[in-house]
Amino acid sequence: MIFAVCFALIGNAVAQQSVTGTVTGNDGVGIPGVTVVEVGTANGTITDIDGGYSITVSESATLVFTFVGMQTIEELVEGRSTIDVTLLPKEIGLEEVVVTALGLSKDKKALGYAVTEVGGDEISMVKDHNPANSLVGKVAGVVVTQGTGGPGGGSRVIIRGNNSITGNNQPLVVVDGVPIDDSGVNSGGSVYNSTVTGGGITDINPDDIESITVLKGPNAAALYGSRAGNGVLLITTKKGNRNKGLGVSLNSNITFDNPMILPEYQNEYGQGTQGNVPGNITDLKGASGSWGPKLDGSNQLYYTGEERPYVAQPSNFEDFFQTGEKYVNTISLDGGGENYSMRFSYTNNKTTSMIPNSDLKSHNFNLRSVVDLTDKFTVDAKATYFTQVLNNRISQGTEGVLSTILTMPRNVDINDLKVYQIPEESLNSISFGSLGANPYWMLYHDRNENKRDRFLGFAKATYEFTDWISAFVRIGTDVTSVRYESVNQPGHHFYKSGRLNFGNSRNTETNADFLIMIDKDLSTDFNLSANLGGNHSYRTYEAQSIYGENFKIPTRATVANSVVQRPSYTPLEEKIINSLYGQVSLSFRDFVYLDVTGRNDWSSTLGENNRSYFYPSVTGSFLANELFDRDAELFNLLKVRASWANVGNDTSPYQLYSYYNVASDGYLGLTQLSRPNVKFNPELKPENIASLEFGLEGSMLNNRLFFDVSIYNIKTTDQIYDVPVPESTGYSYFRENIGEMTNKGFEMLVGGIPVRTENFSWQISANFSQNKNSLNELIEDLEEHPLNTTNSGNLSVVATVGGGYGDLYGTTWRTNDAGQLVVDANGRPQASTEKVFLGNSQPDWIGGLTNTLTYKDISLRFLIDARFGGKIYSQTSAALDGSGVSVQSLEHREGIVVDGYVKQDDDTYVKNETSISGQDYWGAVSGIASEYVFSQSNIRLREFVLSYNLPNSILKDGFIKGVNVGLIGRNLFFLYKEVDHVDPEASLGTGNNGQGILSYNLPTPRSIGFNVNIKF
Amino acid sequence: MKSYLKIFIIVAVAAILTNCTDKFNEINTKPDSFTQEEVSAKYFITRPQFRLYAPDRYPYWRAHLIHTDRYAGHFCFGMKGSWWNDELGYSYHSGYTDASYDWLAGYIGDLDNFMKMTDEGGEFENQYMYAMGQIIKGLYFQMYTDVFGMIPYSEATNPDIVLPKFDEQREIYMGIIKELDEAMATIGDETSTGTNVDDIGSNDIYCGGDLQKWKRLANTLKLRIALRAHGAPGADFAGAAITEALGAPLLDGASDNVTMEKDIEISQWGSAAYGDVWYNFGTGSDWTIGKTLIDLLRDNNDPRLPMYAKPAAGGTAVLEKPEGDEAAKHEKRVDFILNVLTEAGVEFTRTDLEDGGVEITMDENVYYVGQPTRLNGKTQPYVAYQFFSTPENKIIERKNAGPIRAELIFAAAEASFLKAEASVKGLGGDDAQTAYQEGIRQAMKLWGVSDGDIDTYLQNEAMAQLDGTMEEKLEKIASQRWIMAYTDGFEAWAIVRDMGYPKVLADGVSDIDLYGLGDINGKYPQRMRYGNSASSKNGEQYNIAVSKQGPDTQETKLWWAK
Repeated sequence: MIFAVCFALIGNAVAQQSVTGTVTGNDGVGIPGVTVVEVGTANGTITDIDGGYSITVSESATLVFTFVGMQTIEELVEGRSTIDVTLLPKEIGLEEVVVTALGLSKDKKALGYAVTEVGGDEISMVKDHNPANSLVGKVAGVVVTQGTGGPGGGSRVIIRGNNSITGNNQPLVVVDGVPIDDSGVNSGGSVYNSTVTGGGITDINPDDIESITVLKGPNAAALYGSRAGNGVLLITTKKGNRNKGLGVSLNSNITFDNPMILPEYQNEYGQGTQGNVPGNITDLKGASGSWGPKLDGSNQLYYTGEERPYVAQPSNFEDFFQTGEKYVNTISLDGGGENYSMRFSYTNNKTTSMIPNSDLKSHNFNLRSVVDLTDKFTVDAKATYFTQVLNNRISQGTEGVLSTILTMPRNVDINDLKVYQIPEESLNSISFGSLGANPYWMLYHDRNENKRDRFLGFAKATYEFTDWISAFVRIGTDVTSVRYESVNQPGHHFYKSGRLNFGNSRNTETNADFLIMIDKDLSTDFNLSANLGGNHSYRTYEAQSIYGENFKIPTRATVANSVVQRPSYTPLEEKIINSLYGQVSLSFRDFVYLDVTGRNDWSSTLGENNRSYFYPSVTGSFLANELFDRDAELFNLLKVRASWANVGNDTSPYQLYSYYNVASDGYLGLTQLSRPNVKFNPELKPENIASLEFGLEGSMLNNRLFFDVSIYNIKTTDQIYDVPVPESTGYSYFRENIGEMTNKGFEMLVGGIPVRTENFSWQISANFSQNKNSLNELIEDLEEHPLNTTNSGNLSVVATVGGGYGDLYGTTWRTNDAGQLVVDANGRPQASTEKVFLGNSQPDWIGGLTNTLTYKDISLRFLIDARFGGKIYSQTSAALDGSGVSVQSLEHREGIVVDGYVKQDDDTYVKNETSISGQDYWGAVSGIASEYVFSQSNIRLREFVLSYNLPNSILKDGFIKGVNVGLIGRNLFFLYKEVDHVDPEASLGTGNNGQGILSYNLPTPRSIGFNVNIKF
Repeated sequence: MKSYLKIFIIVAVAAILTNCTDKFNEINTKPDSFTQEEVSAKYFITRPQFRLYAPDRYPYWRAHLIHTDRYAGHFCFGMKGSWWNDELGYSYHSGYTDASYDWLAGYIGDLDNFMKMTDEGGEFENQYMYAMGQIIKGLYFQMYTDVFGMIPYSEATNPDIVLPKFDEQREIYMGIIKELDEAMATIGDETSTGTNVDDIGSNDIYCGGDLQKWKRLANTLKLRIALRAHGAPGADFAGAAITEALGAPLLDGASDNVTMEKDIEISQWGSAAYGDVWYNFGTGSDWTIGKTLIDLLRDNNDPRLPMYAKPAAGGTAVLEKPEGDEAAKHEKRVDFILNVLTEAGVEFTRTDLEDGGVEITMDENVYYVGQPTRLNGKTQPYVAYQFFSTPENKIIERKNAGPIRAELIFAAAEASFLKAEASVKGLGGDDAQTAYQEGIRQAMKLWGVSDGDIDTYLQNEAMAQLDGTMEEKLEKIASQRWIMAYTDGFEAWAIVRDMGYPKVLADGVSDIDLYGLGDINGKYPQRMRYGNSASSKNGEQYNIAVSKQGPDTQETKLWWAK
């Protein structure tokens, strides 16, 4: 209805008038090139060489004056014909107002902890489907690992290191003050078959985002209590503008994705074994590696049964990929009057993957309205509906799509695989190998569909009781329904008899909260602001699914047609957290600030004695420049800050007491009960995270240079942890509050404006961060926690006491006590019996460097980011060598006598003299983990934007009010990289187990495209 | 204005705090699960029973099929078209090993739950059910320790001990015997666990609730492990245990076979059958029957041959001559394979092709030919699938298609073989020949061989006569036990390690042109390596065990095999 009202109010003709004036700096000299625009329209001009301007506007117009590096000024025309303004230099980081916890806006200079705000244009211009990916390289202390699962995939966002061994380590996402649910997310991580689904932040439309504020760690986030331990991403979405007519904006973003990096293949040897091409199909398919003879063009048996010239197909893997296309179109309408504003947007996203027949379609509708009912009473409401269909989300790992072709023989033509089944002969999937794994079968014959519908909305009423007391009540809800259909047709290489899995689930989160805000000057020196609030959070989850296998009529996989059926039903799971919280901020003469917060949560997931818990925080800051540099000769700002906070984490429902589950398919139909293999603990306490942070923040040289440095120490104790115990205890895990993990780190942000002239400016911003994670204790005698293991078990990712989160332990070359390399009786190298430490998967430091160059209406921004240290095990690389397709595997093709020793029956060692083939050599070496542990260090050109604003002189008073066109790119190329074949930042999943191992990952896409924004 | 504010605060706080915590206990209770008050003990027996012999497909494939059935020499991979060569498992593979270890180690939870419930003071105290639990525990720990050696036993399931020590095998064997004795004493003359809900009845899928059968099972198990321990260092307890066991009722006669009916409908992710692997993947995951087993059956006119195996499919196959590195070994491999055929009595025609290949044609579905164990990958192209016998249909039957052969838990025949063995070793008074022949009779009846065929075998075959030196007698007993244990690779593998027969298996392999020597340079695998979780979860105790037992490799002999 609000929408309708808005339309009724627009379109009234208004009287026009002309305005002239001069824009000067605080030195009184005219500034040329200042943009002067009538708010809400594209009507605008630019000041001349003396700073003068002239413009025709409506009588009720507001003019806005903007210039790079200067503060923006708005002036109401109110019938004036001359308006002179003085622009002051923008005091970067000084007068900024930032959104903090509970959505409270605060002066950035008053904050005692580090927050970083990323503006909406940085998110929506080089659009990634997932707004989280737009944080890469922009915020110190934030590590974003992108799941390489194709369109619609999520990312792992870690702020200041991992705090929990098994629990959630990712930040809470709050949209317009309302926490949203991210529990429906499939985080992947399996080395066999990993798919990463989005959800949570990925459902937020980048075009609707006004800003993302990163509240780093507990200090900034303490007011969010139990869920704030890992920091908060506060997303503020756009509102309409008041006092302006209806504006329509169209934004089109078209990008094209191609693989950024592909493996380096050899093209000298083809399918075969031990230098031979078997002369029969069975043996040929059994020999699916490229260990045949030299590709000499002679006629040889081909996997289809034909004789074919034995020649290389150099681009066979590359040819599998197509150019992924992403079209994101947004239309937004916004407008407002004196007492209201509204904004509506619709975004349509149609993305096709680099992988055939894999695509995403989504629609996002968003309506936001703010209305002043009286001068004291304001209502703000928003509704967002999001619907997405994902077809063939890519699975990674050894059973994923790429596993079928990454190591395909060098003489196999990818196009031949398009014949994945010959129904007249058999239902079975066919390929060059005996397994018959074929990517086209998986993509065109099987089905894998995921639909997600989501509604997000809130209504908020704010009342101003006096000029220093106001309060609001708000209710927000988030409902996500997911429906998935996954079918392996009969004949599938792993599920010969076929299987299906249909299911749906529903997550909801409803938050009702209130906040009373007091802001009062106690005296001329002291100001007090206080907030008191409460929140009731209600979260639910429910799901149903049906699994079927083995089909009566094997041509179609339907539920009724399946012989074995297994339904599964999860009744409504509920969780409530009630909270009361408060904050008191005191400031003295606007240069000493003290901020104290407290929050008490009552969680339904904990036992009676432990369900109520309190979290405090204290922060203070002090503006040193006010003492020694009041005239801003050097420093415009020099702030020292300190902060201490303590927050926690509860758990999921039903984690306290043991229970019995009845088996839906008991053996021989007998009633059969079992209990979980976790020994529950009714005395479970919430986890505890304490954090201490110090920072120094400054702006100097007339705000041309700024910096922000933080150090922190975060200690997590009482972790809710399933201690893996020897199974002979009768359980696999005991649930306990144990362990201590610390994250110590250093963050730095430095930036400035090295050049600012009339037409040209150069802004630079660099960030750097370092985090050292260590696991100090688990439980007596328990030294490590496994996070993930390779298929063959030759390498594990673990958290170790005294070490850290994500340590890699794997096999290395086997040696004897004398340190000699040991080979087996056949002369093959062997892997060591024990696993040794091979590195840690967390980066040592990360950094980003953004440069923005503006010349008149052209602007160029590019982001280079770096990640140094940290190791990764590439199962992909091992497979490339083991199957003889990599360039490396050309070594030793003519045979090698490994320089090693053979163990004799009497335990003595004799020098090896047996020659082995390259195939045997690489077959053995590819199983040795240490050979495939690589450094993650890399530097890449992450983002690139070249944009151009069509000058108003061209548009004049046309129908079109503004045009911006941009050439954009993401993940363009590596400037530096140590590992071959793969992107070292790729991951198997976004969960705790997804890090440290690469296995048949989809190549990281290189995106290049255009962005066009037109305002009417 | 102030009063509005007051009202606002009161309403807001009240809204948050009403039903603040009073619903918490209710919503934090899982709605679709059961509490102890609602259930009975008998619902907890079936799961530990079937999961010991037919777990889900993951361990069924990795532990049973890949490791024990193949170490036993009953099954072989590595024929043409197989995903693997037959070196698999002889070269350590931590993924497959971990799957086996984790399953066996993780098995105990369900059984422990059942035993704690039925133990004195438990919610469903029932001494007879507890005794059944003790006997299953004996079956389990014997299986588990015979695979790995030292494992946590005495401190297992003790609620106060999180990191239990690994016991020496001697201690475990003594402990099992003690618990079996306790169980037998508890059962006494009782026949059922109780009435109504206390009668475990058909929920017991081993013995149908027949306590006396349980008692005989316990006694026969006691005899098995006492004989296995006999002669091992410090096994002074074995003699007395053997005497006691021989003096009490053992499993006897066809009705005393302890088998477990297969659920032919259950999902492979609940409980697996061989067919779940055989039919779900095509030839790649198939297997053949080992030469040693086929030879022992065929060469002695054993009537079980067609029940165990199908004849080789036969037909024509070409043994191609490869180019490249392996061409020089072509003749040797051809000769080797043709020799296997010849030894099996196959009349085949050989055609030498121009390119060096050899075409072989044999009659279809006539000959029983076993595949030599542990052939390497380079010999694989010579191992034509159709040359070799595969398991009989009922063994590998697919789910929902027909009856699947029951899982063997404990054959009554074994009691007779154990008696014969005790007698040969001078530990028992039974007539060895009589007991031996009774064992063969029962073992054949288990597979449905007719009395006439059994009699013919017993009368005519040298293999049925327990004669010769003591060593020769023991070889025959071992061989018959090993044949009887078909489809129970755990026990068959233990027999080879303990008794040293069939010798061809125990001797290992050495010719690197033909065989895959694995990590153990061709030796016979004496144990499996521990899973990685053994060292990661309980490192200190693991290290103590390794220092006592010997290196954690497959060649380290177990206590009773030394």
